[in-house]
Amino acid sequence: MSSQQYASDGAPKPRIRDIVVRSAGAALVALEKLAGGFGTAVLALAVLLLVTVTAVASLVGVGLLMAPSALRALHAVAERERDRLTRWGPELIGPGPAPTQLRPALADPTTRRELGWLATHGTLGLLLGLLGVLLPLVAVRDTAFPLLYPFAPENANSTSIGIGVAHTWLDALAVVPLGLAWIAIIVGLGPGMARLQARPGRRLLSAGPDADLSLRVAELTATRAAALDAHATELRRIERSLHDGTQNRIVNVTVLLGAARRMVARDPAGADELLERAQSAAEGALAELRSVSRSILPPVLDDRGLEGALAGLAADCPVPCRVDVETPARCAASVEATAYFIVAEALTNIAKHSHAQHATVTVRSHDGRLHLQIKDDGRGGADETGGSGLTGMRRRIAAHDGNLTLTSPPGGPTTLEVDLPCGS
Amino acid sequence: MRIVIAEDDPLLREGLALLLRAESLDVVGTAGTADGILDAIDVHKPDVAILDVRMPPTHTDEGIVAAVEARRRRPDLAVLVLSAYVEQSFATELLTGGVTGLGYLLKERVGRVEEFLDALRRVAAGGTAIDPEVVAQLFTRSRHDSRLERLSPRERDVLALMAEGLGNSAIAERLVVTDGAVHKHIRSIFAKLDLSPTDQVDRRVAAVLRYLEDVRRRA
Repeated sequence: MSSQQYASDGAPKPRIRDIVVRSAGAALVALEKLAGGFGTAVLALAVLLLVTVTAVASLVGVGLLMAPSALRALHAVAERERDRLTRWGPELIGPGPAPTQLRPALADPTTRRELGWLATHGTLGLLLGLLGVLLPLVAVRDTAFPLLYPFAPENANSTSIGIGVAHTWLDALAVVPLGLAWIAIIVGLGPGMARLQARPGRRLLSAGPDADLSLRVAELTATRAAALDAHATELRRIERSLHDGTQNRIVNVTVLLGAARRMVARDPAGADELLERAQSAAEGALAELRSVSRSILPPVLDDRGLEGALAGLAADCPVPCRVDVETPARCAASVEATAYFIVAEALTNIAKHSHAQHATVTVRSHDGRLHLQIKDDGRGGADETGGSGLTGMRRRIAAHDGNLTLTSPPGGPTTLEVDLPCGS
Repeated sequence: MRIVIAEDDPLLREGLALLLRAESLDVVGTAGTADGILDAIDVHKPDVAILDVRMPPTHTDEGIVAAVEARRRRPDLAVLVLSAYVEQSFATELLTGGVTGLGYLLKERVGRVEEFLDALRRVAAGGTAIDPEVVAQLFTRSRHDSRLERLSPRERDVLALMAEGLGNSAIAERLVVTDGAVHKHIRSIFAKLDLSPTDQVDRRVAAVLRYLEDVRRRA
């Protein structure tokens, strides 16, 4: 039995090859980090010098004029380091814009923390970065020295640490262990050095516990408000269709009923006619109500999802229609409802006006947007000003901050393209 | 009575015209927009304009704006505004401009033809017709008004009906009391609202306006 076999083998031993591959990978990543850190460290050193000069010059007044640019440089290099660290690990959330005027900057905790980082990264970070750049170079040089030896100038140092001169092949081979030692150092210490280099940035450049995150909050709030806005517009649309559509129909029913009641004694035939009109007005109200509630969230969307719902629409369409939906994730319900509504309207238009033989509906989603394309091979010449259908579509799409493009040259084909933010 | 109707829903517009014509009233013009009705008022010189509040393009307060404008052009024009729902600010905006020949009713009241025609005639004759729903909301809003608190529940009922635009005998009929009793309540209301008999203004109108102003101050 397999479990016994497992027991006799013991726990699976870590294979040496795996360990080597993993260590080598980690070492290479560490070197890349150190080299990247070297880049920002050089900038940090330059800014550190600028800040020092500014500070010294401020004692005689001139530096005060330089302060804003020095502060801007400080914030810029700090922001660069935040971006770099974010690329290599968990997102580093900055505290938001920092002041560039001297007086507020002196009191600003963010600026003070950035200065602390600048001093560390411009010195210690620079040193670590330099090692990260030099270590692989010397490791390669020393390990490969026997190959270089024939071309090395006479009396040149054979090791990268500047000791010893190789006179024979054996001397040259003796350099190789030194190269291997460098590699061992890279593998053993590289990741730790990279962590050490990143630590001041991770600690000092993130939003501190005392930092004011209100800007960040404001930013997120704005995004959220935009989403809520879209929903509010949608609610307004529904409210309007209830008040201006359905309610008017029902008021009309009561008006006609009232008129009929007044007429029933003196003109029964006239009253009957009014009752007839009242009844059809009531039926109109029901149809209106049905379409309003369907427009809020078509029940079929809930039952069968967007793809199933659209397939249902296509099946009901008298023009043969192919539906192709590829959406990895579901969108906000109101967006899917809008997509459904658009396809329903478009297919109705195609059936009524296009004289098309075939229609295709394509739905794709990427980058948080839903793209719809409805195409037919009909006679074209669809006119936006003609029907109210397109106006209704436009209104709903605008509510979601989406776009609608209609291409319909006379003779066809007609293509309707719609692009909606997935929202939620 | 010459009437114009502004209502953007064609079916309802037609229904209203049908109802009024069946009552032998003279519907001289109809329109679906605020501009359209202002033109119709200029052309047809009606006695009463019936206006829907929500009309294109924004479907918000076009009817109110049109009503205010129509009365600016022709102060003697009676205006009856029909609204899908009670919007306090609209009612107040309309009523504070003067309550003579003015009505503000919920749309569904039209179906109660007798009462609707009654309100229409009252407005056309320079009276007032305020929807009970509007009045009820005014009272809810101004509950904390100290002068209102001086009124007894019965006096409040009477004032509510006054605000709807009813006369003494109509109020008596609604409350199932004698005309004399209503008269007594009204005198008491005037006294509690500090409206002395020597005032030049119509004290009934003043009483209603005082409430409206309170409401507006609060808003």
